[in-house]
Amino acid sequence: MSASLAAAPALAVEVAGLRLKNPLIAASGTFGYGVEYEGILDLSVLGGLVSKGLYLEPRDGCDVPRIVETPAGLLNAIGLQGVGVRHFVRDVLPRLVRFDTAVIVNVCGDTVEEYAEVTRVLEDAPRVDALEINISCPNVKKGGMAFGGDPRLTAEVVTAVRRATRRPVIPKLSPNVADIALFARVCEEAGASALSCINTVLGLAVDVERRRPRLAFGTGGLSGPAIRPIAVRMAWQAARAVKIPVIGVGGITSAEDALEFLIAGCAAVQVGTANFVDPGVYARILAGFAAYVARHGLARLSDVVGTLQMPGAARPEAPPETGG
Amino acid sequence: MALNRDVPLVGKEPLEGAYVLLTFRHPEVAREGRAGQFVMIKAATAIEPLLRRPFSIMDVDPRRETFTLFLKTVGPGSRALADLRQGETAACLGPLGRPFTAPEPGVEPLMVAGGYGIAPFHLFSIELLARGVRPRLFYGGRGAGDLQVRQPFATMGVPVTLSTDDGTLGHHGRVTAPLEAHLDAAGTAGRFALYACGPEAMLQAVARLAERRGLRAQVSLDPWMGCGIGTCLGCVVPIQRAGEDRPKFRCACTEGPVFDARDVVWRGQTASVSSRERKAEVGA
Repeated sequence: MSASLAAAPALAVEVAGLRLKNPLIAASGTFGYGVEYEGILDLSVLGGLVSKGLYLEPRDGCDVPRIVETPAGLLNAIGLQGVGVRHFVRDVLPRLVRFDTAVIVNVCGDTVEEYAEVTRVLEDAPRVDALEINISCPNVKKGGMAFGGDPRLTAEVVTAVRRATRRPVIPKLSPNVADIALFARVCEEAGASALSCINTVLGLAVDVERRRPRLAFGTGGLSGPAIRPIAVRMAWQAARAVKIPVIGVGGITSAEDALEFLIAGCAAVQVGTANFVDPGVYARILAGFAAYVARHGLARLSDVVGTLQMPGAARPEAPPETGG
Repeated sequence: MALNRDVPLVGKEPLEGAYVLLTFRHPEVAREGRAGQFVMIKAATAIEPLLRRPFSIMDVDPRRETFTLFLKTVGPGSRALADLRQGETAACLGPLGRPFTAPEPGVEPLMVAGGYGIAPFHLFSIELLARGVRPRLFYGGRGAGDLQVRQPFATMGVPVTLSTDDGTLGHHGRVTAPLEAHLDAAGTAGRFALYACGPEAMLQAVARLAERRGLRAQVSLDPWMGCGIGTCLGCVVPIQRAGEDRPKFRCACTEGPVFDARDVVWRGQTASVSSRERKAEVGA
């Protein structure tokens, strides 16, 4: 992999005050804490990475089976198994210091207060560039999607985290809502610096022989190429609803996939399930970006952001600027 | 160190039924792959299935920089691999996981294989024989057609006892029956270590047998895997090591797939990790 390709000036973007060498970020829950990829992938080719979700204390997660493959997708109910934020700060963060990539920590909580407390623990830690707020995990009984599905609780969590940190705050929105634009606006008003759109889509796979769910938890979160059109649509809706940047995530496996999100209005993108499928995915996407920039004669890749030309009839609402 | 590579298929040997031997070029797997370790692999051009599949390394050839897998085509992932032609590539990450560890001197390794669980024991036999240790193999399957890898063990001089559920080859019944007979015949003089790879029911039977007789056993588990490197946390198994007060979910890909049988909390054995957590949540 060419480090120069990853850091080509034409690929640099700025998101919520973060200067990323390129718009590719590894998505939370699909990249461990980053260190697992040592030796397999040079983390310095990434624009950034988002850690696995962290609570105050270590978590066991859901019972097994936890994953099942579905058409072009992966249904999971991991349940945020994790080492806890203090262990992360003490033992994991120091190992990330030598990599030239943005480190975004995914913050979880069972209560509003826990989100704030996790944030405070991170506030004194070096090498944390931003916080992503997990208000959209479908696989926990408390917190997670329960916060992200309620505008009032969403506002409370984002406000609490915002007050506890000086760093950029990036709520990760759930697709399991009727109107994501509403939640995007609520987050913006509560002080969010950017938004990640979207988390996994709530799903259910059934073992027809046993007439039971195929996952021990019952329902799960669907990811992978199967959800990409949903993700692009929702990221587009969110991006139109707010002035803060949107980071698109959902089913990206190629440069073309990533470009869909950028053109739809996203300032950067996250790569998730593809990390499991192919650790070489970043090299392929970066090469595809370079080819696209050259083919379209662009000064920089970010020139495509928000250039989607939608037919008027397909707009669910009038664009606010033109009134047309 | 595991390495991600596009690997060309350099050899294919179809066996009877749905079984096939596939050989790929991957210098690191060929050089560093150990018995019990695995690769995550899928046909490079296949969109479906999405995920790579884990397969045990059956053989390595460091000189030719190749490794060999033994597949039963049971689903789309294995079928896409089996359909590869010479020179076509698969996407492959490996070698991964913790291998079997050889027994202490004077202890006879008894390998127990069920169906395509035979794969790691081919490489394990080569490794053991290179150390001057001769293992013994107990090889079971549903029928004769499931016992496809016999000749290599005969060639290596590894004693093999066959068994089939339907009685079409070898002992009629479970693979653990002739194993027990061998242990009984040796009496108190014998010193053995058990190694098992195959269906979970067989692994559990071997674990129980080992516990009953005070033997050490290493079992290779085969849960669904997403990534192979400990990031998806999909392949965890409840493991309770000596000195731990409760089981902990551990990744089969990074802390296994080979575990000490005593540490595995088998399905239905006791409360699993998270069912305890759930009880704690509801105050039970």
